[in-house]
Amino acid sequence: MKALVVYAHPTPDSLCAAARDRVLAGLAAAGHEVRLLDLYADGFVPELSSWEREHHLDDPSTKPDIAAHADHLRWCDTLVLVYPTWYSGQPAMLKGWIDRVWVRGVAYELPEGGNRIRPLLQHIRRIVVVTTHGSPKWVNVVQGEGGKRVAFRSLRVLCSRRCRTTWLALYGADTGSHELRTAFLDRVERTVRSLR
Amino acid sequence: MQVLVVLAHPTAGSLNHAIADRACTALRTAGHEVHLLDLYALGFRAAMSADERAAYHTDQPILDPLVREHAQLVRTAEAFVFVYPTWWSSMPAVLKGWLERVFVPGVGFKFNEAGKVRPALGHVRRLVGISTYGSPWPYVKAVNDNGRRTIMRTIRINTGTFTRTNWLGLYAVDTATAEQRERFLERVERRMRSL
Repeated sequence: MKALVVYAHPTPDSLCAAARDRVLAGLAAAGHEVRLLDLYADGFVPELSSWEREHHLDDPSTKPDIAAHADHLRWCDTLVLVYPTWYSGQPAMLKGWIDRVWVRGVAYELPEGGNRIRPLLQHIRRIVVVTTHGSPKWVNVVQGEGGKRVAFRSLRVLCSRRCRTTWLALYGADTGSHELRTAFLDRVERTVRSLR
Repeated sequence: MQVLVVLAHPTAGSLNHAIADRACTALRTAGHEVHLLDLYALGFRAAMSADERAAYHTDQPILDPLVREHAQLVRTAEAFVFVYPTWWSSMPAVLKGWLERVFVPGVGFKFNEAGKVRPALGHVRRLVGISTYGSPWPYVKAVNDNGRRTIMRTIRINTGTFTRTNWLGLYAVDTATAEQRERFLERVERRMRSL
């Protein structure tokens, strides 16, 4: 397995940072090839620029800023997103990575004059999301679980038709006990290690 | 009413800019006090920084003067109008980041003594979203309109159940004719004038 781990949390002592480490440990224990993108540490710019917007249909080879990221997406067969759920979705840093990197020629093709996109990431056969929610699960259900749907619908339709999904979430992290967090981290590592 | 219009599109001269212009003009004609925040033009930074994250649960969660200014506008607003292009079924990073950095505890919501989230935007009577979509309507529905849900559910939980909502969407915008775009702008204008 070739796993691309995309991690987006600003502080190194966060629960998400711990979850990222357990993801990496699980993947290493299973002997998978791993690449890690730490968007904050890499100083990734999440704002899609005016130039990028105007050239959003241009060939990706004209966009050197995202070339390395595009290569990682083309290389992997498993995508692992690790992030805190804020306002029911991916943090701006991760949303910006999707906005800027999942462009035409990398993630999808748009037929001339059409408006239905065609997938280009059919080699990705699994998307794993590891995320923490401050609020309990029922609140996220009422809110419509936007983050889950962005990952498992909007992104998944650009991947393999048989792309499988794995949702590893901690709810109620704001008020959760130490045991709850430990159990979550253990579950993350165990599940990731058993991925095939 | 005090209306806060929040625009998130990188290109001046875009359809989204035209929408925001029309909306502001119509709202002013109707006698409302309008404040437009063009996030890209203001150079608003999308990502919450490590310092901001560390300060989030303290008494002083706002560190950036621009965010402080916006938080003050949010506190006095009686209506929000969000104007943005839908990308990957959600809002552009800069608008998502605006919510994360401005709607902090004490502005967008508050924590009660048990650490539970409680509404703090009870002064907001009206919530409007206006968005353009590259995809046609059935596709947007199939993948779920997550930007719309973030505003109409996640934000609305914090404004309260008496807040009225409006959603105006232009679908398949890439293949829309000039006439369809103009019709949409007129619809925006009509809707904003009667708010």
